[in-house]
This record gives sequence, structure tokens and C-alpha cells, in this order.
Amino acid sequence: MAGLEIISDQGYRIDGRRSSELRKVCARMGVFTQADGSAYIEQGNTKALATVYGPHEVRKGRGKIQHDRAVVNCQFSMATFSTGERKSRPKGDRRSQEMSMHLRQTFEAVIVTELFPRSQIDIYVQILQADGGNYCACVNAATLAVIDAGIPMKDYVCACTAGFIQDSPLLDISYVEESAGAPFLTVAMMPKSEQIVLLEMNSRLHADNMEKVLDLATQGCKDVFAVLDRHVRDHVSESHALMTAS
Amino acid sequence: MAVHITLPESRKKSAAPDAPKHLVTPGDVITTDTGYMRGHGTYMDDDKLKASLAGVVERVNKLICVQPLKTRYNGEIGDVVVGRVTEVGQRRWRVDVNSRLDAVLMLSAVNLPGGELRRRSAEDELMMREYLVEGDLISAEVQAIFHDGALSLHTRSLKYGKLAQGLMVQVSPSLVKRRKTHFHNLPCGASVILGNNGYVWICPTVDDEKVESSGGYEQDLEPVPSTDREVIARLRNCILSLATHKLMLYDTSVLYAYEASRQYQVKDLLQPDIAEKVADDTRQRLQMESG
Amino acid sequence: MSSTLGVLSDAERLFIVHGVQDDLRSDGRACEDYRHVQVETDVVSNTSGSARLRLGNTDILVGVKAEMGEPDPGRPKEGKLEFFVDCSANASPEFEGRGGEELAIEVSNALQRIFNSRSTLDLTALCIIPEGQCWVLYVDVLVLECGGNLFDAVSLAVKAALFNTRIPTVVVTADDEGQQEIELSDDPYDVKRLDVDNVPLIVTLSKIGHRHVVDASWEEELCSLARLTVGVTQKGTIAGLNKEGSGSLDPESIYEMIESGKKVGMVLNSRLKEALEKEENSKREKIGFLG
Repeated sequence: MAGLEIISDQGYRIDGRRSSELRKVCARMGVFTQADGSAYIEQGNTKALATVYGPHEVRKGRGKIQHDRAVVNCQFSMATFSTGERKSRPKGDRRSQEMSMHLRQTFEAVIVTELFPRSQIDIYVQILQADGGNYCACVNAATLAVIDAGIPMKDYVCACTAGFIQDSPLLDISYVEESAGAPFLTVAMMPKSEQIVLLEMNSRLHADNMEKVLDLATQGCKDVFAVLDRHVRDHVSESHALMTAS
Repeated sequence: MAVHITLPESRKKSAAPDAPKHLVTPGDVITTDTGYMRGHGTYMDDDKLKASLAGVVERVNKLICVQPLKTRYNGEIGDVVVGRVTEVGQRRWRVDVNSRLDAVLMLSAVNLPGGELRRRSAEDELMMREYLVEGDLISAEVQAIFHDGALSLHTRSLKYGKLAQGLMVQVSPSLVKRRKTHFHNLPCGASVILGNNGYVWICPTVDDEKVESSGGYEQDLEPVPSTDREVIARLRNCILSLATHKLMLYDTSVLYAYEASRQYQVKDLLQPDIAEKVADDTRQRLQMESG
Repeated sequence: MSSTLGVLSDAERLFIVHGVQDDLRSDGRACEDYRHVQVETDVVSNTSGSARLRLGNTDILVGVKAEMGEPDPGRPKEGKLEFFVDCSANASPEFEGRGGEELAIEVSNALQRIFNSRSTLDLTALCIIPEGQCWVLYVDVLVLECGGNLFDAVSLAVKAALFNTRIPTVVVTADDEGQQEIELSDDPYDVKRLDVDNVPLIVTLSKIGHRHVVDASWEEELCSLARLTVGVTQKGTIAGLNKEGSGSLDPESIYEMIESGKKVGMVLNSRLKEALEKEENSKREKIGFLG
């Protein structure tokens, strides 16, 4: 991989995208029948599944019950075959636990939990194929799944990554670009109210460049939102037509 | 012996429907007019009324709410539900009705065996397990709603009570049309209870006289005859196919689906293409009748 | 929709048991009928082979990764197969954290059992350098939704994934110092396929009342106290047998169940082969989860 140019002289990335281009997003709601809500999303080659159960009675661990709102419970898991090199543990390792906690914090802020005192909402996300932007795909899939389950939220939550390589900001980092060692930022935000709910960066980025990268990431979140919203509207419109035609 | 293994078919996109009048998604501003009251699926942010669910906006006088496509059951007083007992507690049973909290059935809200009318004694409390245990299915009516949203049920009429032999299917509550009655003795030879909560009970036609005399507790343990059983299985498959294709469930739609399915064998209704055909035929027939 | 999958009332149980006696199950199937199966291979790309299979409401995803490793000292000229099963929390909140581990181990053991025999898969074809390097096939099973009859669905998905597996061709050369070098072919189409004709499928036979059924739904599983899982190849050879459950089986029933399993297993194998070959020859676009 040494000497591989992330951006070519003409400005094209390895997968043919431009620096501020998002990967292709495909989504589907209602993938499973037994869960209350479910969704599947593809962002480029990253594939994620999310299922939502609830709100329902708190079944395990009565100590968790909150008298004035619902408890949100999340679990993040990656299939052992999702990465190039086989992953031996799908969940339970530190990174997965951290992701689970991030997800929980994100959705606790967005779901109107005060409407469901003493109950529990479970959100489970699974990565089937990992090609960069794993956390973002999970958040986006989970948003669709929560909408599918009919659980009220203040706004969508959309997530996107943005990095900085060869002096230019790049949107939606793929795995190859991640491994090249470029610093990148993960942002999750509520697109309509423009509030950021999660911000994470694990590498070094010069303060001067921070604003550019953050701006690009938030723009990316809004781009993702546009695709997801279009999908939700089509889905609701189609299903509504089916239901009222009888 | 039947084994069918097929490749998945891509979903047919139905012809682009007219977008419903007012479609919203979470975070959309519905109105900035402060004269409206907010109902299900909305929330106030500053002075704006915003949607919290994806669905169609419904305006009833000054009340605005958003109807989602599917959601956990939100009970209303007077609804008929089918539920499963999950716990036997002190003077009450907890019943799962596919809602966000289990419903409560108070000891004082059930009919005693034999139809007796008296105050519940301490003996009744100890004998609760003689009436209903964990796993039992009941049909009941929503009497009240607790402040935390849990429902309070009652079975004080002879048409409600413990359910005997039959089978239950689960569909989304939003697919059960609100009607005057949810108990249907269908002409094809079986009875159906379309619970508002999405739990549908199918059983051999109930002999009303027999039920009245025992107060709803005597259970017929005789094997159900094959003819009845076939009707029940066919109804089950029809109801599931209607639900998969998002048709509303009520006596007419179920009956039409049953009739449309007659040309197929019961077990063939499990094949996705045949289930789709039955749903389409039913939809066409319903549209013709109403259009 | 409901989190109480796992309980039935006594009357419901009776209804199911009587139905099985009459060879007319709740959904209209006969005792030896399977629900509808949908299979698709090559659904995830970071793998050497993959398959997704739906059997009724049970949804399984299998990924096979071929990596180079050292052979077992006792079998120096053979490659290895390693199974790992993950019951995803997506399938049920019960599987959250370590909740699904017990079930996952049971399924994994069942797979080890049927692949134990030498004739199942030609492992010598996976050898690269005897006593040096071999291909290790990591077969990872992900249970996405659980609607009964997990073992059969998993074995079907595993066989489909192995059929889809492509292993790069290797060339072993000796360099100047006599060391052996392994070179992977650059050409993505220069691959080796596995001969899965002798790979068995699991047929689970559940004893209900005095008869047995194949492909039990979750309701039927609750009515069955004893089950027999049989590994059956296309030719009808039995490749592994296990009795599960707390109930007991008399020898007569066991013989009947094995005969039944053999008959059904052979048909299952040939239908799967037909479907997989049809998929291979049709070059249709992959649907995956977007269908």
C-alpha cells in the first residue's frame, strides 16, 4: 500500500469519488417481522443492520426502571466476517462496548423518553461488512429502525466522517483511507435543528484545519439526512397507500 | 412431503402513489400557529409544533396528531384486546398486550366461575391460580388507563374471559380497523377475535349458550374436528398474508381473503407468491366494492 | 412485536398436539412439510463465500473466510474447518450480551458433529504444504432472526455458503535455498471450488404427542419434549445423530424418526442443490437485504 495516492492529481479518490462526495447510500426499513422496528443500510461497501425492540416492560434487572422515562439500551456488534481479517469476538471487546455506550448516549438525547415511563427501548446494531464509517452506518440504520418502530424522536440522527489528507478535507472516509493514517472526525448530528450529538476524533489534526473538516462533516450529515428522509417519505407514502386502499 | 427452496424475488414497487396530504418525518415543523393542541406524535419546540413520528398528520378540530405506520399498541378505553398472562400477583394479574407496559387485570374485574356476584374474599386471592396462570390467553376490554400508560382490563361480560382451544397470530395494531364489534363468527365455520392490540385469536365457532352457563371458565378439551381445523389454518394464513401486504383487518377483508384463497391448498398459502396473489385479489375486490 | 415468544397456554398446546395427530398442523402443513425457504449466496464481500437463508421467520447469514494456517499435527495433509455461531441480539433481546451463548454452542456442536466424518468434505484439497501450511475455513454463522428450527436453517445456510466459497489457487515453489514459497494467484477468477455434494444437512424431528414433525415452528417446539437431530447426505447416509430435550423416546419412535429424517433430508439436499445451481446459472443481480 506504500505510495498509494489517496487523491490522484485530477482530484479523484481510490474509489473514484471527489473529495466532498458521499458514498452511495441505500436503505430499507422493516427488514424483519418479529422486531418492533428494523432497518438495513449500505454506505458504499459498509453494510449495517439495526433492530429495535420496544418500548416494552423492563424484563431483566428491575433496578434499571426509571419512574419518569424510558431506559434506552444499545448493543453494537460486528460480524466476525465483516472485516478483511477475521474478527474473533463480535461483541464484548472494549471498542464495541464504547460504541454501544456512544449509541446509547446519542439516542437518549433524541428519543422522547419522557413519554414512556418505566419501560425499556432496545436498539441492537450489527455490522455485516465493514469498509470505514462503521459507527456512522450504525447510527443511520438505528435512526431508520427507531422511526420504523414508531418511537417518537425530536429529529433524525445522521452521522458522517470527514478526514484530512494531502492538505484537503475528505468526506466519508473508506477503510483504505482510514488505514492510510489520515486523521478523521466522526460527527453525529440532528440535521433539522443542527445540533451535534456526538463528536469524536482519535488522531492529530491541526487546529487551523479543524473548522474545515468539521464543516465538511456536518455538510455530510445533512447529505445523508436528505437520502434517509427521501427513503422514509417514500416508504410511508407507499405503505399508507396500501393501508388506505382497503 | 413438501420442500420448496427458491431464490428471493426483488420487491415490486407499486405504481407511484399520490403522496398523502400531509406527510411528516421526525423534526418537521407542522405549524407555528399556537392555537392547536398537540396529540400523539408531536412535541412543542419554542413556539413551533413539530412532528416526532413519521406518518400522516391528522387534524380533528383543534387537535393535531401524527399517525405512524406501525407502533406498539396504545390502548383506548373500550378497546377489545387479546392478551397473555405474564404474572400472577397480589389481587391482580399482569397481562402482555403488546403495549409498552403490561396491562393489569384486577381480581375484582373478572367474572367468578359460575357467574357468581359477590365480594372477593381472601380465599379468592389464594385461588387466583385456579382462574388464570402464566401463559393463559384472555380476551378483555380496556376499562381504564393508569397515569403511567399501563392499561386496566376487565372481563366482566360473558363474551370475555379465558380463551380455549385455538391459535393466536400477531399483527401490527395499526392494521386492525376500529369497528363496533371485534368478535366475528365467520360463515366459513370459525370464530375470530380481532384484538385492537394486534393479537388475533382464531378458534372453532363458539357455542354461545354453552359459554354463558359456565361463566367462561369451562374449557372444551375435546379434539377439534379436521374440517374446523382446516378452516382455522386457512384463516391463519390469510390473515398473515393480509398483514404482510399491509391490508387493514376487519371481518369483510378477512372473509374476502378466505374466499380468494379457496382455490389453493392451505399449506400453499405459505408460499410468498401465492400469499401475494391472495392479498392482491382481496384488495381488488375491496376496491371494487367501495369504488 | 412481542417479547413473550416462549409461552403457550395449555389449551393452545392441546390444539397443536391434536393437530399433529391429524397430520394437519396450525398452518396447514403436514407433518413432513417444510415452510418456505429462500436462499441467496454471495451477499457479503469480505468473505471467500457467503449465504443468507430464510426458513419461515428464521433468518441466517453465514460467512466463510479462508485463511492460511497450520494443519493439525494428527492430520498433516488436511485443511481445517472451524465453526463459530453468533446468536445476534437482533434476533431476540434474550441474546443480548452473553444471553445467546448457550444456544450458539449447541448449534456449533451440531455442525461439528455432522462435519466430523472424513467423507463430508475433502479436506486434503485444502492442503498447501503437508505438515506446513493449509487452508483453514472459518465458517461464521450469524443468527439474525429466530422463528423455530434453527439447526436445519443453519445447516442449509452453511452448505450454501460452502458451495459459494472460492479459494484462491496457490502455487508452491522452492526458492534457491530450498525454502518453499507460497504464491497466491493474482487472477481473481483462478479459484478452486469445494465439492459439497457429500455435505449433510440437519433435519430436526420433534416428537409431539405420538407423532413427530419436521421444521417445527416456535409454538410447536414448545409442545415437543424430545427432538432428534439427524445429519443426512444427498445419498441418504446418516452423518450424525443426537437426541435433545428432557423427554424420552422409545426405540420404535426413534427408528421411525430416522427413516422420516432420511427421506426428508434427501429431498432437502436435492432441492437446495437445484436452487444453488439455478442461481449460479442465472447471473441475476444480488438482492441481499434490499429486497
